[in-house]
Amino acid sequence: MSRDPKEQGPRPANWAVAFDLGLRLGVSVAVGLGAGLLTDNWLHTSPIFILVGMLLGIAAAMYTIWDVARQSMGR
Amino acid sequence: MVHVEIAAEKLFQLGPLTVTNSMIGALLASLALLAAARWFVRRAALVPSRGQSLIELPIELLAGIVRGTGGKRWRQFAPLVITIFVFVLLANWISLLPGVGTIGLAEHGPDGKVVLVPFVRAAAADLNLTLGLALVSFVSFIAFGIRANGLRGYLRELLVAEPVYMTPLLTPIHLISELSRVISLSMRLFGNVFAGEVLLATMLALTTATLFILPLAFFVPGVFLVLELIFGFVQALVFALLSMTYITLAIAEHRQHATHEDHSGEAPEPATAPAHGAAQPTS
Repeated sequence: MSRDPKEQGPRPANWAVAFDLGLRLGVSVAVGLGAGLLTDNWLHTSPIFILVGMLLGIAAAMYTIWDVARQSMGR
Repeated sequence: MVHVEIAAEKLFQLGPLTVTNSMIGALLASLALLAAARWFVRRAALVPSRGQSLIELPIELLAGIVRGTGGKRWRQFAPLVITIFVFVLLANWISLLPGVGTIGLAEHGPDGKVVLVPFVRAAAADLNLTLGLALVSFVSFIAFGIRANGLRGYLRELLVAEPVYMTPLLTPIHLISELSRVISLSMRLFGNVFAGEVLLATMLALTTATLFILPLAFFVPGVFLVLELIFGFVQALVFALLSMTYITLAIAEHRQHATHEDHSGEAPEPATAPAHGAAQPTS
């Protein structure tokens, strides 16, 4: 007889996603900043794209949280 | 004196290829996997021997997890996920063998000091390997996404937001989020394994210095070796499970957005699949 999935506790894949989430938040901001820095160096528009990249990176971090929460609830 | 080098050290030149000590570590892990696979294929029995059970144990563990969480199409990507897991696990554990990181050539460093260049270094303590593995995982989940969704559907999923007028804002955010997966996958594995190497080297150096004062000097590195065994397993598991999660999501997004079409060309597995190892009905 199979047990109710809710009684089995968190799945290993959910643990892995939890491990991943913290680092991805930081990496998202770093990727946005890096892309902005490169664009600014290329177009000589500093600091416009650094700021834009940072904002996009922060937004991407928020999006990641929302996405992970959405997927976890969907499972 | 503890010598820590972030980049893998060059051992010799093989034509245009620079062979580093982390490449030797990766090669050893690959050879050990190949030898185990060859032995397993030749001597596999219905009632497993101890050796066979030892090889089957990690594979069955992960197969159970993938079957439980990978959706109905888990068989399509289970070999990839299990291979990544076993390779990373073996590469991590090989680095704990005696002589790895401690036997090598004495060379003069840039500052004139004599430093040890080990013959073998933990494969995952080199960002090149972890980035390569992360790219394999990245390409795989894109490929599974395209296979399930079609190229057009996948690009629409990636580049077009809902509602459409939000696309200029949401598409860069989505792209950054996708790119952060590769970087976080590779950085996590590299960071943990490299930090473990540094920790072990530091503990060995400290306890060697106090060998005649502190009788526990033999015990302390042993504790950290056991911890590294556990961390090596956990990191391999996390890397493989995240790869699986990304692939599952790439396939699942297709189900949410295009439930009427299926580009994979394969029928989904029945929901009531028999348990692994259970008796299969014969016809």
